[in-house]
Amino acid sequence: MPPAANTIIVEDTAAKLSFEYRGMVWRIAWRNLWRSPRRTWLTAASIAFACLLVSVGMAMQAGSYKAMIETATGFYTGQAQINHQSFVEDERLEHTIPDATALMRALDRVSNLFAAPRAQGFALVSVGDRSFGGLVVGVDFDKEQQVVTFFNNLTSGTLPKGVDEVVIGETMARNLGAGVGSELVLLGAAKQGGVAALALTISGLFSSGQSELDRTLLFTHLEAVQNGFSLGDEIHTIAIRVADLTLLEKQISQLQTILPDDVIARSWRELMPQVTQGIELDRISAKLMYGAILILVSFSVINTFLMVVFERTREFGMLLAIGMRPGLIIRQVLAEALFVWGVGVAVGLLLVVLLVSYFSSAGISIEGMEELARQFYMPDRIYPAITLQSLVVAPGVLLVGTQIAAFVASWRIRNLQPVAALRVD
Amino acid sequence: MSEVVVECTGLTRTYDQDSVPVYALRGVDVSIMQGDFVSLSGPSGSGKSTLLNIIGGLDRPDSGEVVVSGTRLGTLSESALAELRLHKIGFVFQAFNLIPVLSAQENVEFILQLQGVASAPRRARSTAVLDSLGLSQMSHRRPGELSGGQQQRVAIARAIVTNPALLLADEPTANIDSATTEELLLLLQKLNREQGMTIVTATHDPMVMGYTTRKIKLHDGMIEEDETAVVV
Repeated sequence: MPPAANTIIVEDTAAKLSFEYRGMVWRIAWRNLWRSPRRTWLTAASIAFACLLVSVGMAMQAGSYKAMIETATGFYTGQAQINHQSFVEDERLEHTIPDATALMRALDRVSNLFAAPRAQGFALVSVGDRSFGGLVVGVDFDKEQQVVTFFNNLTSGTLPKGVDEVVIGETMARNLGAGVGSELVLLGAAKQGGVAALALTISGLFSSGQSELDRTLLFTHLEAVQNGFSLGDEIHTIAIRVADLTLLEKQISQLQTILPDDVIARSWRELMPQVTQGIELDRISAKLMYGAILILVSFSVINTFLMVVFERTREFGMLLAIGMRPGLIIRQVLAEALFVWGVGVAVGLLLVVLLVSYFSSAGISIEGMEELARQFYMPDRIYPAITLQSLVVAPGVLLVGTQIAAFVASWRIRNLQPVAALRVD
Repeated sequence: MSEVVVECTGLTRTYDQDSVPVYALRGVDVSIMQGDFVSLSGPSGSGKSTLLNIIGGLDRPDSGEVVVSGTRLGTLSESALAELRLHKIGFVFQAFNLIPVLSAQENVEFILQLQGVASAPRRARSTAVLDSLGLSQMSHRRPGELSGGQQQRVAIARAIVTNPALLLADEPTANIDSATTEELLLLLQKLNREQGMTIVTATHDPMVMGYTTRKIKLHDGMIEEDETAVVV
């Protein structure tokens, strides 16, 4: 007699998989890795290599951007500048910051901040019968040296000691046929419309490496320019450096509260947009390169897991036959991918930390490219810097990449028929 | 009176081989009772493995109906079939098909873990089954460290540890020597006699047929002989 052919509802064990089973998935996944150690190490090595390339690349970028910003801002411009709003729009002599002494005193009280006042005017610079146009900048040499490195470029003589002394670029000196000890006569238009006349003795020559600056700039004491151009207690610019560049924007916001109306502070991002743009451009090209590396590695992982799935088709057929769900088998393959990723990233990050630690103190020389480097405000040695981003981005992207790769490779398990799979040799 | 464990009615199954239809089963009707030890024999292509696969829910017939332990298989989804296999049917394969990275005991426990059995009863049941099959000394060895016969015994332990209503074995002795074959057959016979386990095995091997209580011979997808014998 046939049984009552009712369809029973079979309980869904997948929904109540035990904690122990989950532990077993991890155990099987880990042991499966070492069924083919060579393949596991090759895949892990490709992950490690990608992690190394991208993370070291990002550490190099972080180090070089920091150096680029420090070199660019530390050369002459400063990390930030304070100017009258109208001077930003049009650099005319009369667009000055008033009450400079009081403002400088207020700035001196701000901790971790260095400020250097500047006043400037155009003048005809003459020695004997030779004359050239130049920009004479009055500065406080002591304060300048706390903010910029420009005055380290003195090639002969000394910085001005007396108010009647000046340093000029080597090119200007050559054009004028002058040298240290020569007397310059400067004639320009003063603020009140009168004539600005200065007679200064060259105390030193500089060579900044930028011919335009060496041809046009002269530096003397602030009082000499203020007196000569009838500026009184007025200046044009205050160059700023802060102890921690990462806090610059915050400090600028705080500075704004103590500045007079119509006087503004701007960071290097606004002052030197070419640096920001250069960094952005480099970031974009680096992202493309990193993306290509990570995609290539993900493809190699797909290849590995396709091989894993093909080689273990029979085993998967057995698992399906005894009642394991395809989703659980896929989960196990994903766990294997996670372990390969873990091994690769651990090796990769270890190498990253070792390499970057060494080169962050020894630096990487870009010998033979100094001229090019200078154009991009790069120092002649780059010191890579480990950042959280450089340690997290590549492993994170590789984690997603390897999981997607393993998922794509194991997708066919969903449609695997146990009978057909068990027949595979 | 014995309960019917498997009821097959009008089973047909056709495969396409290079666009040529191959009739694997042509209207097979068979009932298997609780406690039967059945051999399905016949030449290659006679349909014995196809019948075994359809009874086990691994394959579906083109027409006809299979009821296993009161469950009509034709109405079940793939996942419900997987659940049925997990809970009601034990499988022994020709090539053992153990998980190579797990020890003998872990292989046996694996199926209990899939069922969601907790750690302590799982360990107790797997240990008891391995002991009863004389495998307690080898429970920590992996399949690669076991002989063919030992591996097949572990496979049997895995198949019976869940107390299935039905044990299906596809050519279980094909890859082992005759001495080991006899040992395994005695083991299956013991399970059948002492525990009343219903066993269906597809085989070519006359020695296997000698141990079974019912011999079904297939030819060209149809039952040619169905003979019940008493094994002494």
